[in-house]
Amino acid sequence: MSRDATDSVAEKPDDEHPGDGHASAEHPAALQAPDAHPHTLPLLRQSLVGSWRSLLAWSLGLAATILLYMPLFPSLGGANSQLSALLASLPPQLIKTLGYTDIASGSGYAESTFFGLVGFLLMSAAATTWGSAAIAGDEESGALELILAHGVSRHQLVLERSLAVTVRLVVLAAVSGALLAAVNPSSQLGLAGTDIVAACAAFLGLGLVSGSAALMVGALTGRRLFSTAAGAGVAAVSYVVNAIGSQSAALDALRSFTPYGWAYRHTPLATGADLPGLALLFGLSALFTVVAVAALRRRDISGA
Amino acid sequence: MAAHTGAAVSTSALSKRFGRAVALDALTLDVAAGSIFGVIGPNGAGKTTALRLLLDIIRPTSGSALVLGVDPRIGGPELRRRIGYLPGELRLEGRITGRNLLDQLARISGPVAPGAIDTLAERVGLDLTRQVRTLSKGNKQKLGIVQAFMHTPDLLVLDEPTSGLDPLVQQTFLVLVTEAAARGQTVIVSSHVLSEIEQVADRVAIMRAGRVVRLSSVQELRQSAARHVRATLSGTDVATVRAALEADGALSALSTLSAGLSADSAGISEPLGTGSVCISGTLNGSIDRLVKLLAGFTVVDLRIEEPDLEESVLALYRDDEPGSTREHHRDDHRDGRRTKRHPHES
Repeated sequence: MSRDATDSVAEKPDDEHPGDGHASAEHPAALQAPDAHPHTLPLLRQSLVGSWRSLLAWSLGLAATILLYMPLFPSLGGANSQLSALLASLPPQLIKTLGYTDIASGSGYAESTFFGLVGFLLMSAAATTWGSAAIAGDEESGALELILAHGVSRHQLVLERSLAVTVRLVVLAAVSGALLAAVNPSSQLGLAGTDIVAACAAFLGLGLVSGSAALMVGALTGRRLFSTAAGAGVAAVSYVVNAIGSQSAALDALRSFTPYGWAYRHTPLATGADLPGLALLFGLSALFTVVAVAALRRRDISGA
Repeated sequence: MAAHTGAAVSTSALSKRFGRAVALDALTLDVAAGSIFGVIGPNGAGKTTALRLLLDIIRPTSGSALVLGVDPRIGGPELRRRIGYLPGELRLEGRITGRNLLDQLARISGPVAPGAIDTLAERVGLDLTRQVRTLSKGNKQKLGIVQAFMHTPDLLVLDEPTSGLDPLVQQTFLVLVTEAAARGQTVIVSSHVLSEIEQVADRVAIMRAGRVVRLSSVQELRQSAARHVRATLSGTDVATVRAALEADGALSALSTLSAGLSADSAGISEPLGTGSVCISGTLNGSIDRLVKLLAGFTVVDLRIEEPDLEESVLALYRDDEPGSTREHHRDDHRDGRRTKRHPHES
């Protein structure tokens, strides 16, 4: 066939019978020659085009959070502020659970209100939603059967859709980082630009772990419920274990075993990138994606 | 290449189990290249399972298949680009217009000839500017038909394509199928009822409970189908006619099937007061012998009805029904996961 010479050549029927010529009656498609291929990453484009509304909504949610919280810092913050006094009067366990130990500093404030709490919640929710829609949602709706009957391989589908989730999460992280940088001076946060990048990378990695977990369970089971539970569960368990680990030095080691801890335990907004932590976040996401590819390749796709 | 062997699709003992339930039991058949092949059967007969196996959407438990000369397990995207598939239960959602959806699919499975989408949409009467989620069932089905035909694939696999279509569009669909076959494309089309595809199909496989119970040309099916026969003979009597019928072994079918339709058990009666003999009953198989036998008499009236294909197909569905099908249904309930995994056939 004249199409897609670059594609993997699992079958080349005409090669078996070079005498036939291409435009034979058995190959009507070959008659309509104009070769429109190759289209690069068609599924990625399809996913991104189909999800711009949702991407916009989540971006607005994150932006609103930053714009609501950050300008409050000058009136709350400072070591001698009323907030510090209030926090000092609260039980230390609660402070540690909320991650408000360092809330009097700009980086501590941004991290504990946004990256560690509301932003984390929104990021995890968006990642889980997209991750579970990518495979399980489409499979339950019957759309996966249709698309896989077309000229696309299963690993291509998983990889392009994972990439589509990743791109959207990168946008969320970038929007957050840009807005934070924008309000940084007026909100007197005193954040260094590189530290913002480092925190956003950790923020992204945390989202990727949830998203890829949801996508992987979708590829394994085809069930949206399980897929959503996996994405949300990873985030929730990670947060809770981290909170327990924050309670005392004895439990602190627990934080090294959770994605939340990998992202934030070395306070990237104050001290810069924690490369091993980032490697763990991105590595685990990559591992989940590899499992997703293997899982979807081997199983039956269920119908609508 | 498939065309050289004459088979576009060839399966050998192709089987699929879902848990303990046997959805497809050792399917062996060949579909000639360039032909229109019908797969007929009631719900749960294994039609959808068989078609999904050809697309590598599900994988066989045992047995093998060759689609356009390639095993679907290894054919990959290159093979599926040469196939147009309409799922049995096409559900389209999303805020995307029909045209955009078709363009997306064309990017994956193309090339699609310029104007092909518009021409097809126009023929089936589909508005491409509407969002797919707002389309009625029939219009979604039209969209499904367009996406299957648009890239002029070598093989069309259409699962219940006429469901939801109004009679006019059904006719258009049959024309599309006939044209495709005339171009050398092979078409496999499934249906609950033979009548929907009988006018276009060259061969049909009649399936029940995962097995093919009859594989023949539509013509053979028609020839062997039951026909209602009624003849009035004059200048003779019942005994003579009965003797003539019984002398010819080939017509024994008539005498055994005539019960209930006429005055005596052999289907021969002598209408009161007329002095003529009436034969009536259901004839299975060739009518040639009957006509030759009747030629020996004075035929006053003769009626041989169109064979009722649907009736003979239904008879095939019913054969030994109480055994294996009930077992199937029990399996359906026992394996809870199966209800999710197994393709629902409507």
